[in-house]
Amino acid sequence: MSILLDKNSRIVIQGITGREAAMVTKHSLNYGTNILAGVTPGKAGQDVHGVPVYDTLKKAVQMHGVNTSVVYVPPAFVYDAVLEGIAAGIELILIATENVPQLDALKFLARAKQAGVRVIGPNSVGMITPKDRVKVGAIGGDNVERCFAPGRVGVISRSGGMTAETSWMVKRAGYGVSTSVSIGGDGLIGSSLKDLLLLFQQDSETDAVVTFSEPGTHFEEEAAEMLLKGDFTKPLFSFIAGRFTESLPEGTVFGHAGAMISGGTGKPSQKMAKLQAAGAHVLGRFDDLIPLLQEILK
Amino acid sequence: MGKLLENYSKKIIGEAGVAVPKNAVACSPEEAVAKATELGFPVVLKALVPVGKRGKAGAIKFANDANEVGKLTRELLEMTVRYFPVEKVLVEEKISIAQEWYLSIAIDKQAKAPVIIASLDGGVDVEQLSREHPEKVLTRHIDPFLGLAEFEAKELWSELGLTGKPLILATQALVRLVRVFLENDAIILEINPLVLTEAGEVMAAASVMSVDDSAMYRHTELAAMVQMGSERSWRPLTELEKQMVEVNELDPYRGTARYTEMDGGDIGFLCGGGGGSLLSFDALVSFGGKPANYSEVGGNPPERKVYGITKGILSKPGVRGLFVAHNITNNTQVDVMAKGVVQALQELGKDPSTFPVVVREAGVNENDAKEIFRTAGIEYYGDDATITEAAQRMVERLKALDAVAAAERGK
Repeated sequence: MSILLDKNSRIVIQGITGREAAMVTKHSLNYGTNILAGVTPGKAGQDVHGVPVYDTLKKAVQMHGVNTSVVYVPPAFVYDAVLEGIAAGIELILIATENVPQLDALKFLARAKQAGVRVIGPNSVGMITPKDRVKVGAIGGDNVERCFAPGRVGVISRSGGMTAETSWMVKRAGYGVSTSVSIGGDGLIGSSLKDLLLLFQQDSETDAVVTFSEPGTHFEEEAAEMLLKGDFTKPLFSFIAGRFTESLPEGTVFGHAGAMISGGTGKPSQKMAKLQAAGAHVLGRFDDLIPLLQEILK
Repeated sequence: MGKLLENYSKKIIGEAGVAVPKNAVACSPEEAVAKATELGFPVVLKALVPVGKRGKAGAIKFANDANEVGKLTRELLEMTVRYFPVEKVLVEEKISIAQEWYLSIAIDKQAKAPVIIASLDGGVDVEQLSREHPEKVLTRHIDPFLGLAEFEAKELWSELGLTGKPLILATQALVRLVRVFLENDAIILEINPLVLTEAGEVMAAASVMSVDDSAMYRHTELAAMVQMGSERSWRPLTELEKQMVEVNELDPYRGTARYTEMDGGDIGFLCGGGGGSLLSFDALVSFGGKPANYSEVGGNPPERKVYGITKGILSKPGVRGLFVAHNITNNTQVDVMAKGVVQALQELGKDPSTFPVVVREAGVNENDAKEIFRTAGIEYYGDDATITEAAQRMVERLKALDAVAAAERGK
């Protein structure tokens, strides 16, 4: 097992003929991930590194039974791409695109929720299940093994780059990951920390979870509540970056759009205190992860 | 999040059919007197700065005649409100207020829906009011597809206690304001106070509006009203920051390079990845280091962007060393980072033996990067060190420099 992605995932890329999407397709194929189809309007009949391109997602579903979609279209087209995914019966949509208008995100997230479709992102660098060599998105680049070894630790990160770095730290500590997920750095995203912790809780092949968080949002406060209620019972290791932002005036944006301090909510110190009180292993320095993992998981 | 000045937000809501006080913008006391004379006395004078709570800051004044307008405008133009020097003043007709209400529309990220917050106790600090008298504040979520139906607006005001003509007018105003919010991709639209005038009119006496910068491509008219880049900072951009915005905009679709100046500090900070930068900054501070700026590069920027931002970082007075770090990159070519950084260092004559530079860059093309950095005499780490370990080295290198200087003085 693992969460969200495994060898049964049937993957399609929306916007596959774009420069970055084509590169990601190549890297994913090289890693061993089976990408069945791509969609770009007007380009049916072409192929990208051997992956057939269709004009509509509906057609790709008919031809290949795809159920997992990666959205790589420009910001102005994300709204439509997600609605197309929902209409075509896709079960899991990962949105890689950054700078999606918030109102568009509100709308497609509402539709996805109604339809029972899971959304990761926007602004997600991807996710990966190393055991099955399945990845979607740019995650891992062209050197996936460097950071992602198969194992039994789940990783959830607000930051795309830190999804890789955190998984690498897990590997450095002598472990590997079941699934690593970049949930996206935007203010409005489809799946929060809590949503994914619930999945990791149910996954028999995940023994512990490491999270990388940033200032802003209520995600960590929600996670702390889950721990207190007993909804998440595995060891949770949490690092919250951006403590220095607390000494700056309110309203400053650092890091991702979601990383905004306002009105006293979402402060790293507050998140750390809540998680600590709920029984999570809160990391003072990021490097503390290595000895702590070794101590708790031994 | 792009902030609009009040004259712009009032123009937008006025055009949507919500009553606003007559107003005009003035840049000098003389101009303010002329505008006030046209509007008729008494008038309200407001500092036109993109910050809230101006009343508390003393940036809103009342004037009864031309003399007062001149004197008070001069005072306002000399003020700095929450780091923003006042350059313009909004001159407004003074309305006779019977009741003051509170209304705001914002995005509730937890509920993932726009939300209305309303109260009949206006003109106050709504956070304080909702803490002390939660029963006086109502919140309602808005369906992002349907907007707000008239009956929903009516129910909300009715529940708060309005009836008669004020209920009808407030309902109309709320429906129109929600439309303004949704049609302009707003992030926040706050009317505090929304007033009932002595004449029985419902009017937006003060407004604060921010729009979504990600949506500006479909609102060219709004984009002209917002200073892009300003949304990330708590004060106006410094000269150096403006230059760095230009460096970034030179190649708008290839990678990002953002720069924020800190007060003081001596470590030039060139870090990458949103999360990686936050972690790097915290790590330096935890070892006693003082970064002179914050930065964030990523998305595989071209060499001239890296070069431009490095030069900017190094040009701040007091910078004694440079810390370059990234999470292990997924797509950013670290050899390109290396070329840009080394070129800027060499051009500015920074010798890595006296100007410590510590690099932690691993990822795409790292062997070339290692070669470029090491050839230039720079302390380089790939994935043989963590970001935190590299940060510790940076701080140690600066401390060593201090020790040498102290020894020199002791001789």
